[in-house]
Amino acid sequence: MTVLLSEWTKLRALRSTYVTLAVAGIMALIASGIVAASTVTATAAQAPPFGAVVGIFAGWLTYPALAIGILGIITITAEYATGQIRLTFTAVPRRLTVLAAKVAVTGLIGLVVGEVLAFAGYGLTAATLAGHPLAKSLHGASIHVLAGGVSLCVIILLGLGIGTIFRRTAGAIAALPAVLYLPLLVFVLPSPWKFEIGRFTVMGAVYQLISAHPSNQLFSPVISLIVLFAWPAVALAAGAAIITRNDA
Amino acid sequence: MIEIDHVSKRFGKVLAVDDLSFTVRSGHVTGFLGPNGAGKSTTMRVVLGLDEPTAGAAQVNGRSYRGIVHPLNEVGSLLDAGAVHGGRTAWLHVLSVAQSNGIGKSRAAEVIALAGLDEVKDKRIGGFSLGMKQRLGIATALLGDPPVLIFDEPVNGLDPEGVQWVRELFKAFAAEGRTVFVSSHLMSEMALTADRLIIIGRGKLLADTTVGELTQASRNDVLVKSPRAEELSCLLSAKGATVVTAPGAPDTLTVTSMEAGTIGDIALRNGIAVHELTPRHASLEEAYMKITADSVQFHGRAHQ
Repeated sequence: MTVLLSEWTKLRALRSTYVTLAVAGIMALIASGIVAASTVTATAAQAPPFGAVVGIFAGWLTYPALAIGILGIITITAEYATGQIRLTFTAVPRRLTVLAAKVAVTGLIGLVVGEVLAFAGYGLTAATLAGHPLAKSLHGASIHVLAGGVSLCVIILLGLGIGTIFRRTAGAIAALPAVLYLPLLVFVLPSPWKFEIGRFTVMGAVYQLISAHPSNQLFSPVISLIVLFAWPAVALAAGAAIITRNDA
Repeated sequence: MIEIDHVSKRFGKVLAVDDLSFTVRSGHVTGFLGPNGAGKSTTMRVVLGLDEPTAGAAQVNGRSYRGIVHPLNEVGSLLDAGAVHGGRTAWLHVLSVAQSNGIGKSRAAEVIALAGLDEVKDKRIGGFSLGMKQRLGIATALLGDPPVLIFDEPVNGLDPEGVQWVRELFKAFAAEGRTVFVSSHLMSEMALTADRLIIIGRGKLLADTTVGELTQASRNDVLVKSPRAEELSCLLSAKGATVVTAPGAPDTLTVTSMEAGTIGDIALRNGIAVHELTPRHASLEEAYMKITADSVQFHGRAHQ
């Protein structure tokens, strides 16, 4: 509990925390606005077949995800870069406790910010689409909007895990988009490979959660939720093994 | 008390610490000396559980550092004052460290005041001078009011007032019965601060001694100049002194095992004029250089 409080103070004391969150927020709202506006002007034939909610998150997740993921990364890599990590581990020699506290604090921020942005994007879209035939597809979408917020929580934790593995900011920031977006290339593979592999990707799993019409060739939303959380879990476990075995 | 028990630490091909054993006692300021690269910082990192020793173990007050739940209450340390995130204010930095060990806000404010940082506590650390960061690091080390203090080169970058503050702080802590372990590569600094000395070179223990012992072991003599040096030399030798006439300067004597005052009295009784009578103490610095001469990694030269 004491370590949790300490990690919270450390995060809230940094200007970079607010900057990355502001960038994430601005990008999320711009993306939602553009998608909503283009949906309104689209003819029925051009309208996204997957419904408006996925439309919100298609742009919404791609851009703020990077800012949020980077916040997760620098929470640990900035400590290594400045040497502060030695003070941190001197004050709390149980390194897994430090990592667990960072998981809790960044995870909570990711969840709260994610939900706020998800519902703000949803509200923006709903307002733009008011009176439009597509507005009907927004009814009963709350669960998918909620899932959109959860995916940002997963991505901040994935960033923290990658940062813990690399312990260097540059390498981790290069690795994050590679983990998030590169696997999307599998969707150009022929069937059934694109689904067989694609169902394990972060973005594939996110799609299943936010879509009102999940693909029946990918995992079910419940399994997709597990796949989604498995990514940061694996990264954090690998990172935990690295920081406990190495000299600080 | 800090116990280093047959600690070795290898980094690749380099054996930074080589089967090192010593004990740092409470109630003293113990200086930890050695040339650059001798293994001082590595030894301290092993004590603080940051580096895993290749062999051996280090204990603080009978416990392994990594086993202490809230170590700031047991051991205060400062390894590298510059190794802090420059983006935080001094206050939030110290507060975050305090919180990690369940130490309250009032104590955090207290150590900031103690270090003379009250006026700058809401400024970002990134703008601090090395001396201010050093004060901040010392403040952080004192948070838990610990019985054991470990500092790596604490006076680096401090202004004379800061150096004075640190010296008095260390002496006061030792007088209270705490263990104070301070590294330096400067004997002159340790001579003023420490009473016990651990000297290492190339990761090995070279000396475990006190400032007093080291002073006694070093050279003490009296330089005497007199127009009747030869005559005086005979008189002093007869009284048991060892006298050497300086080569090429027949009026200059180097006298050992006799006090300057006694030499003056003998000269006066015999009506011999003395033009110079200078007691000379080899500095601790010289004694230290002698001990570490063989283990200095990076020799410099004044001229070619």
